[in-house]
Amino acid sequence: MSLAYARNDWYVIADRNSLEQGPRRTRLLGDEIHVSGSYAHPVIKDASGRMLPTQIKFDHVWTTVGDRPRPLFDIPEGNEPGRRLVPCGMVRVKCSPLRAVENFLDIAHFPFVHTDVLGAEPYTEVEPYKVEIREQNDEVWATKVKFFQPLAAKSAAGGITTDYEYRVPAPTTAVLYKTCPPKPEAQDVITIFVQPRSETECDVWPWMALYDDDTPYADLVQFQQMIFLQDRSILENQRPIKLPLDPRMEIPTRSDLTSVAYRRWLKKRGAFYGALAETL
Amino acid sequence: MSAAFTLYDYVLSGNCYKIRLFASLLAMPYQSVAIDFYPGYEHRSERMLSLNPAGTLPVMVTSAGGQVLTETNAMLAWMALHDGGAQTPWFPAVDPALGPQVQQGLAFGAGLTDSIGLARLHAMLDWPVDGEAAKRAGLKHLRALELHLTDRQIDGGLWWAGAHPTIADLACFPYVALSPDAGLEHDGFPAIRRWLYAVRSLPGFATMPGIHPLHELR
Amino acid sequence: MTWRPVGLTRDVPAGRVMRAWVDGQDAVVWRSTRGVLSAWDNRCPHRGMALSHGFVRGEDLACLYHGWHYGAEGGVCSLIPSHPDLTPPDTIKTRAFQSAESDGVIWVRLEGSPDLAPPAIAPGLDPLRSFEIRAREGDIAHGAAAKPFEPAILSLLFNPIAHDRTLVTVLIDAQATSDQRKLASRWCEDVRREVEA
Ligand SMILES: N[C@@H](CCC(=O)N[C@@H](CS)C(=O)NCC(=O)O)C(=O)O
Ligand code: FES
Ligand SMILES: [Fe+2]
Repeated sequence: MSLAYARNDWYVIADRNSLEQGPRRTRLLGDEIHVSGSYAHPVIKDASGRMLPTQIKFDHVWTTVGDRPRPLFDIPEGNEPGRRLVPCGMVRVKCSPLRAVENFLDIAHFPFVHTDVLGAEPYTEVEPYKVEIREQNDEVWATKVKFFQPLAAKSAAGGITTDYEYRVPAPTTAVLYKTCPPKPEAQDVITIFVQPRSETECDVWPWMALYDDDTPYADLVQFQQMIFLQDRSILENQRPIKLPLDPRMEIPTRSDLTSVAYRRWLKKRGAFYGALAETL
Repeated sequence: MSAAFTLYDYVLSGNCYKIRLFASLLAMPYQSVAIDFYPGYEHRSERMLSLNPAGTLPVMVTSAGGQVLTETNAMLAWMALHDGGAQTPWFPAVDPALGPQVQQGLAFGAGLTDSIGLARLHAMLDWPVDGEAAKRAGLKHLRALELHLTDRQIDGGLWWAGAHPTIADLACFPYVALSPDAGLEHDGFPAIRRWLYAVRSLPGFATMPGIHPLHELR
Repeated sequence: MTWRPVGLTRDVPAGRVMRAWVDGQDAVVWRSTRGVLSAWDNRCPHRGMALSHGFVRGEDLACLYHGWHYGAEGGVCSLIPSHPDLTPPDTIKTRAFQSAESDGVIWVRLEGSPDLAPPAIAPGLDPLRSFEIRAREGDIAHGAAAKPFEPAILSLLFNPIAHDRTLVTVLIDAQATSDQRKLASRWCEDVRREVEA
């Protein structure tokens, strides 16, 4: 466990809807946090009453408990004109925050976990794709990922082969870019911001930046919630709960290259919060 | 085929799923209107409260006659009768032996919303309720159902009552199947597992998040 | 290691999967389409998903997460759906335990001499049900003895599944009527209420 590393990242702690429900207690990195105020003026305090810094980005309130926080990454697509920004609320999962991110980077589970939506037998094969650590900003990227999907998005009319790209800008954030059915030259952006309540429990805040002006907000959110709640029942049943960084503990194949790169990248940074690093 | 009803629906709601599941089993067409229950709390909006002052989902508006139903048990009954008339095997309402048994199951199913249902909303969406108390109530309900289904097994039965599944099974199925979402596993409940499997095997079965398909080879 | 009674034969018919606890070990117990019973570590070697959530495909158990298949004979991985043309190396396999069935009860043990059979059950008994009590074996046996069941002969088997949780398997006189069986099932609830209180 490396709390020191994790303390200096920024985490989502609230969104507009949750603040409108009134003050609330939550947890971050094992400690209690008090959330109150409004979206324009959020008030975030730790258990001792100390005010924590906040910033509003990507339709969420972010905070950090570190003394020397790393700067919060950017998602430039969020500022592109024509995109619809869709915060999706929060879902609590009893799993390691890192397992939640890793699952988001995985396509091989689509036919079995998101059956008839993001995948379907017999289209189970994962074609080779490219994974790299981009040096300039030290991010994990997977590109040229392709998968056949019966119902890729709320805006899809039927089965298509979807192109994906994945980006990990911070240990507890994953961003994906995927073919946008009504606008094939553009890509929809879907992210999860994971708030680590502890090493074994997290609040996941999905957020989307889509080219879709037609679908009602409720349908967009519920499509995302449907997908994520299918994942939740997997995530709560993986053992060990913490993400093993020792490659001998689990068996990756070629389709798991993103996960392999993500785990190596965590190891290299010493981002062990939520990881099982004991056997290293 | 024209829609038999309009369903004000939320994808993660076990109560809404009762209706989606039954419609799928009956192959009954309907129109769904997604309501932003969470994060938007749209079921408590003025528009929804004027349709259902109780502020709950689902709400059903029947196409013929425009009846507004806000209790899932009433909706299930309406669908069974709409589909098969008084002879429907899904709702043997006037059968002297089965009718009361089905009512018993409907009431039991309705009670699960405040036990397993609330425990689940708490575990999943941090609903501001006493999650532990709801979970304890949920465990009691699972034990009561296990006892009932063990009785049924001793009598050679599989369903809540009688030889055919009824709306009592459908009223109970969602929250029992979803109880692991709230940390209430099915491990110690063999009779419940057998019954869940039977429901999941019904022709036309539909899933919801948290209830995966049987993955039979197609 | 000792054989532990983890459930009833009738509760794991062909094509069905359940979870069991054996001496603190999380296990999956499942039966193939042709009827072969297996008990394995409840953990998919790929990414650690509980195999008890998986599904049976013929003689294989498939993991719910990415659909990897493991064969009833030996637990060796037979299919990785993301690479359907690949023959998985036989080093990819689940950890298998010993399982046996006698008189309608499923027994599992983690290891031990293969020819040592599970304990025999007194003749003339039928399995009634298995259920969990949040208490230790000793307290349950005590509670049960304090409340003798009059209508028929019962026999109780215990499997400790956590420090304060026990799986109880109840057998009843094979001559017992349906009504007596239902009464016995209620007696189980009475004992549980009493012991947990
Ligand atoms: N009596 C209703 C109850 C339905 C119900 O409670 N639905 C839940 C959603 S599953 C709800 O709307 N809860 C409102 C809330 O918690 O704010 C029925 O059985 O149909
Ligand atoms: S975890 Fe079992 S197949 Fe991937
Ligand atoms: Fe997923």
